[in-house]
Amino acid sequence: MHWIRYSFTEAWRSLWRQRNSAVLSVLTIGAAILVLGGFLLIGVNLDRAMARWSAAAEFSIYLRDDITPDERSAINRALTEHPSVASRVYVSREAALTRFTRDFPDLAAGVAGLLQNPLPASIEVRLNPQRSDADVVDRLARQVQASPGVSDVRFDRRWLERLARIAWAIQWAGWGLGGVLIIAAVLTVATVVRLGLHARRDEVEIMQLMGAPLGLLRGPLVVEGLIQGGLGGVLALGALLAGFAAGLRQLGPELSTIVDPSLVGFLPTALSAALVAGGMAVGGLGGLLAARHVR
Amino acid sequence: MYGRGVYALRDVSLRIEKGDFVFLTGPSGAGKSTLLRVLLRQEIPTGGQVTVGGRDLARLSPRQVQHYRRGLGFVFQDFKLIPARTVQENVGVVSRALGETSVQQQRRIYQVLKWVGLQHRMNAYPVELSGGEQQRVAIARALVHEPSLILADEPTGNLDPDLSLEIMNLFRDINSRGTTVLVATHDRELIRRVGRRTIALDHGRVAEAG
Repeated sequence: MHWIRYSFTEAWRSLWRQRNSAVLSVLTIGAAILVLGGFLLIGVNLDRAMARWSAAAEFSIYLRDDITPDERSAINRALTEHPSVASRVYVSREAALTRFTRDFPDLAAGVAGLLQNPLPASIEVRLNPQRSDADVVDRLARQVQASPGVSDVRFDRRWLERLARIAWAIQWAGWGLGGVLIIAAVLTVATVVRLGLHARRDEVEIMQLMGAPLGLLRGPLVVEGLIQGGLGGVLALGALLAGFAAGLRQLGPELSTIVDPSLVGFLPTALSAALVAGGMAVGGLGGLLAARHVR
Repeated sequence: MYGRGVYALRDVSLRIEKGDFVFLTGPSGAGKSTLLRVLLRQEIPTGGQVTVGGRDLARLSPRQVQHYRRGLGFVFQDFKLIPARTVQENVGVVSRALGETSVQQQRRIYQVLKWVGLQHRMNAYPVELSGGEQQRVAIARALVHEPSLILADEPTGNLDPDLSLEIMNLFRDINSRGTTVLVATHDRELIRRVGRRTIALDHGRVAEAG
């Protein structure tokens, strides 16, 4: 307990003495964590949206006008027996027209002028998110496509998978960029802590000659890094929160046309805490690198 | 021996008894400071054996070195005080780090500062003290852990003759309490005035064992 108190007191004293360099170091860590946090925030929200869209994913089977009752029964049977299918709804040509007129009122007048209803009947299949592996559903879609009486099959999952690949690429780009910034931050902290160590070299030498344990000489240096990292992490989290709130205010109306507003949110508490802890780890590592010079 | 066959100390064989007061003298480059560094375990000799209190210094682990040093006190010519710390903080720099309780620590620091006559300057900074006072603070710091051996490297090198004698009297007092004192100095006049056993080194060898 005493060791911790001593390390914190000494670390704080050293940071205060070289506060200008310490501010630079905190800002460097903050920038690295901010970039990482920004990409995490985008990734988390994309994941949320995709989870919702995946749960609602469906494929639509468009039926030929001349489909026979036997052919329709055969398709229904294939769907009922398949484990990936959670439910199915038959949409008649009339129901499709009613829905079209409701969803696209501007186009309704044009469709009303046509001699006959241009929309086909369809079966809308809702997939079971837990049991709808893409390959399995693909095979089902191909099987249904080949069935007599089917004119076309549209499968939502394909664009969701493309979106997932984009989200994955964004997240890895974030890790890559964040990683480079984190290395820079570790080196900055190590340099700042070493500068502090240099300023205190007489004191350290005297303490070594008086038999102070190595842990007592190195501890404050590691704690110095931890404090800088923690402050950088908190700063980054604050900036991220402010940026998120401002972005939401600015883009809120446009965003709500693309995605359900209830899906857009800030990072979960555990992830926010992990960001600050990550900042502390980065700082601690920098402090540890500097502490290796005390032998 | 340092690299390229340069010997800092060679064929040095001597014994200092517990409770002795010994001067180590010789011209610059004779090896006085090197011998003190060996005793402080800052250097390990390339040959031979150095034993202090039955412990072979070359065989000590890093942890044992720390423990060994806590039983020593050292005083340097340039005092080696920390400018940004007060007198009492300088004296208690390691006790504080080692977690001695504040009351214990304060009492002990006050005692040693009183003993060197500086109890009224506890809150002063080194820059506010004279050379003699700074050296007395360094001696207080060396004494605060009640060491069994005090090593002093030219402790009066920066002081005038009267102050030098005053510092030597402090060492004499320390020695009279049973602490072994080893003082390296090239000041022959001071040695004559104090009159204790003297070991003279020359070119890294013992020229006179006293």
